[in-house]
Amino acid sequence: MHSSILLKVDGVTKLFPGVRALDNVTFEVRAGEVHALVGENGAGKSTLMGVASGALSADEGSVAICGEQVLGDPETARDLGLAIVRQEPALMPDLSVSENLYLGVPPRCRPPMNQCRQWALKLLKRWSDDVAVDPGDRVNTLNPEQRFIVEIVKALAADPKVLVLDEPTEHLLPEDVERLFERIKQVTERGSAVVYISHRIREVQQVADRLTVLRDGQGQGTYDASSMDEHRIVELIVGGELDREFPAKAINTDSEPTVLEVKSLRGPGFSNVDMHVRRGEIVGLAGIDANGQREFMRALAGILHSSGSITINGRKATNATPAKATSSGIRYLPGDRHREGIMAELSVRENFSLRSLFKDLSAGLTSRRSETQRAQQAVNQFAVKTPSVETPIGSLSGGNQQKLVLSSVLAGDPQVLLVDEPTQGVDIGTRMEIYRTLRQAASRGVAVIVVSSDQQEIAGLCDRVMIFSRGHVVKELQGKDVVESKITSAVLTATSTRERASEGTSKFWKWTAGDIAPILMLAIAIIALGAYTGSVNEYYFTERNLAGVLPLVATLALVAFGQQILMLVGGIDLSVGPLMGLVLVLQSFFLIEGAPPETQTLGWAIVLGVVVCVGLLNWFLVDPLKMHPMVATLVTFMALQAVSLQLRPIPGGLFSDGVLESLDSSVGIVPLTLAAAVILALLLEFGLFRSRWGLSFRGLGSRPEAARVAGIKPRLTRLSAYVGCSLFAGLAAIPMMAQVGSGDPNSGTSYTLTSIAAVVIGGASLFGGRGSFVGALLGALLITQVNVVTSFLGVTDAWQSYLLGGMILASVALYSKSRQMAVAK
Amino acid sequence: MNMNSAIKLDGSASASVDHQASKSVGFRLQVNEFAWVWIGTAVLFAISAIVAPGTVTKGALLAMLPFAGILAIVATGMTVVIQQRGLDMSVPGMVSLAGIVVAEVGFATGSFLIAIVATLAMAVVVGIINGLLTARVNITPLIATLAVNALLIGGVRAITGNSPVAVPESIQAFAKQNLLGMPSSLWLAVLFVVIVALITKRSIIGRRFVAVGVNPRTATAAGIMTLRYQVGAYVLSAICFALGGILLAGYIGNASHTAGNDYLLPAIAAVVIGGTPFTGGKGSVVASGVAALFMAQLAQLVLALGAGPAMQLLVQSLAILLAVTIRVLPSLMSGK
Repeated sequence: MHSSILLKVDGVTKLFPGVRALDNVTFEVRAGEVHALVGENGAGKSTLMGVASGALSADEGSVAICGEQVLGDPETARDLGLAIVRQEPALMPDLSVSENLYLGVPPRCRPPMNQCRQWALKLLKRWSDDVAVDPGDRVNTLNPEQRFIVEIVKALAADPKVLVLDEPTEHLLPEDVERLFERIKQVTERGSAVVYISHRIREVQQVADRLTVLRDGQGQGTYDASSMDEHRIVELIVGGELDREFPAKAINTDSEPTVLEVKSLRGPGFSNVDMHVRRGEIVGLAGIDANGQREFMRALAGILHSSGSITINGRKATNATPAKATSSGIRYLPGDRHREGIMAELSVRENFSLRSLFKDLSAGLTSRRSETQRAQQAVNQFAVKTPSVETPIGSLSGGNQQKLVLSSVLAGDPQVLLVDEPTQGVDIGTRMEIYRTLRQAASRGVAVIVVSSDQQEIAGLCDRVMIFSRGHVVKELQGKDVVESKITSAVLTATSTRERASEGTSKFWKWTAGDIAPILMLAIAIIALGAYTGSVNEYYFTERNLAGVLPLVATLALVAFGQQILMLVGGIDLSVGPLMGLVLVLQSFFLIEGAPPETQTLGWAIVLGVVVCVGLLNWFLVDPLKMHPMVATLVTFMALQAVSLQLRPIPGGLFSDGVLESLDSSVGIVPLTLAAAVILALLLEFGLFRSRWGLSFRGLGSRPEAARVAGIKPRLTRLSAYVGCSLFAGLAAIPMMAQVGSGDPNSGTSYTLTSIAAVVIGGASLFGGRGSFVGALLGALLITQVNVVTSFLGVTDAWQSYLLGGMILASVALYSKSRQMAVAK
Repeated sequence: MNMNSAIKLDGSASASVDHQASKSVGFRLQVNEFAWVWIGTAVLFAISAIVAPGTVTKGALLAMLPFAGILAIVATGMTVVIQQRGLDMSVPGMVSLAGIVVAEVGFATGSFLIAIVATLAMAVVVGIINGLLTARVNITPLIATLAVNALLIGGVRAITGNSPVAVPESIQAFAKQNLLGMPSSLWLAVLFVVIVALITKRSIIGRRFVAVGVNPRTATAAGIMTLRYQVGAYVLSAICFALGGILLAGYIGNASHTAGNDYLLPAIAAVVIGGTPFTGGKGSVVASGVAALFMAQLAQLVLALGAGPAMQLLVQSLAILLAVTIRVLPSLMSGK
């Protein structure tokens, strides 16, 4: 009975808007044990582990790992030896597998950056010799199983003292489940502990030494696993609910008329499904997740495309689009309430009336009075707890939201009611009300179809159950057979294992979605355009022309690098153009003919100070003040322009010859400024993929939450991105001095949009996470070239605009398409 | 008040109800979100009357209002797109091109009506392209409309050869006429804003439009054809920009190839000052319209006080900053 405590959760309470997700939960995990955490969906298991791992901070109570307190900081928890395998892997999708592994382990476990690949490969091989994951693969091209394996490998690589596994077998193939169990044994033999979260009781009995039960956010005690039988555990999990009362089922519906008749419907994930629903019936669709039942329901609702025939009350119905399905009388209550059921910021009234606005029409306009009245009625009838109908629905508890959405769907007078997970995240009392409402709808003649992963719910609620497996209906249960045990065994005998997902992504799309493709395609475009222009007009490749054009490339490239840095973290800076102008204006007072060296130095110092301050200001507006980046940098855009115009209402202050000459110097035909830009591009590109800052920037832009959990400091990273962006804009102003010659307040403004264009053409994503400095350089080169070639090709300058617009659209459409295609489904 | 409910939240059994109470406070502030600009505009005119009475004489107002009206119309279009979580950067191209097309078609056909209809029809096509590029091809709105703007500018350069074109008399007369003592562009702006506001607030189409802006997936699951509304927003914005371009060309008397350049940032600024957030769904075209008036008067006031374009810009940027901070301040103070 060795019992040093590795993880201690003491009286933890966690509140979410509208719910008490955890209520004074206490439990301990000992060294060397597998401690299971069991409970229903929404019981608070994942929230509890979120608190333990520092990803969430508790409202009350404390968490200690190996005796040390964790205070809502994922890095502390990780350093203390906690590793967590999340149901939804905390991986940064735009980063490669090896980069995710690198960032995912505590600094002491990290290899040197240049050995990252081999290190990652070794870890993956340790999991399985024939692992189909390459360290260089971008995470968003992996399928869910592969992503989950990476998540497990990442956790194991940290040599954890406490390893938390959240529903680990949901995503795994049978052989990987075996491997996982082996690993669990190794971890506990080493004296570490495993917290095993699952709602599969048999699995828990197989691996766990002790178990703690959670129900509705409250702990139900800790027990020795061997002392508990399945029945007893279930009782603890569901509470007094074991004999929950469902409304009486329909009696003898065989002679009732058919409301809904579906014949050989096929669509993504299911095929040849026949079914019918008689008047008064509730039909359940059951099966292991992702076997087509949910897809079938969504296809009926018109959200997924399908073909086949549907008849409602003898009339032919169409479900080609959601709107057509709706007007055929099919109404859908989505399972993912937050994403598809509610409009969180809008009021209860607006959420209610959305699906039945036609009832509020008077003289062609919606009547506020009728709307309020109907919403109020629904709130009363369904006992929705809300201060008023004008309260934003997002602030209600899950159960009240669900009741309101259900009432809204019913207000649309459905003939067919499709319900996905009717009671997910809903408290017990409300569940009963929802069951009663569905039963009432059925007895009124609405065909009700229910999908639920809770087999007890299906058994209690439905008159008939259809079992789905691999997209087909494999069995139908009715009458006395509709009981939980029979449904469960039918589901389990139908498919006991997950199918290995097919290798979906084609080589071509994978390549075009990669980092090399934009660079290669841009290079080809630049060479082709240059070669064509050169063949049409011999003056194009003269030294004189190139000497005029190449410095322009340097200017645009440098400012594009700045924009790129910021875009990596999902930001954007409109103020770069005016900042460049301001630098010119400022220097036009210092770098003039006859100015002593100390004046010039002072000029540089002032410019540096201004540039840094502008970056800080932009960051301050965006991060602490939470302004939209576009709005914030629009403010600085205007303010900087104002300062420039104030200092130099008209262009003035010629730069000294000495300054201009040194800026004009070149190596052969390559201007020094361009050479510097190229070298910088290569250095930055190297840093982007091979340094810790590069990973931080890309990681934060790719998925901020996963990055934070991996120990990246969001504020600091964003701050350095904003300051970095301004610094590069300031740098870009240096070659521009030679091109403009004097302090022209308007000289920079056009660079704002052009720099964005250059970066985007270079392959950057505006959402952050991916980009390339070499790409930005080539983008700058192509844009500059396009502006020049028109005069050599003898076409009007309208073509400059046509080519620019066309290039942006073509490249971005291709990137967007390829990245969609490359993402594993 | 906020603190009070926060204290209650800690100790009470029914957490969710208390939470709603604190939210309803927030909600009242949000209603005021669109009211600030009315207050600001009233204050601005009061200040104008005191420090620069010259800017509130009939003559000065009649000189300012046409531009306020044009900006209001352009800002209406921008508001509608931002409500759909989008952004339309094709303002410069569309405003310039509309002025040029209406002039060219007007001269070619000799018909005022055909010229207007042809220009608006072109705007519809551009809007559909913008909408499909963003909603269907999944290109970020900023980039898609920036590219389309480049194409439109290409058209402008091709037609004009970079020099302004004259505008037919009939269109000039239309843009310059006064109705009941007010410039026609102002009437049009009011009409436009009121109709769009009425549609979004009170019609089924408008209500669904808002739903799509707040949460496209919920809207789809509720049986709404999301794509139509998303594309529709860009069509409406293109029409607004084109109308702005027609009025501008008519009022100035010629259609310049750079006419639209001065409307992009002010239009976005008007939306921000009006209080429509960039997060989608909520929005008020009326507030944007009033904000356009605010900005036009602000420009007049600054000019009258003898400050140059530099001060103009600075004051405008401060106005945006003030407009945004005044709205986020309550939530920042309560530590959210």
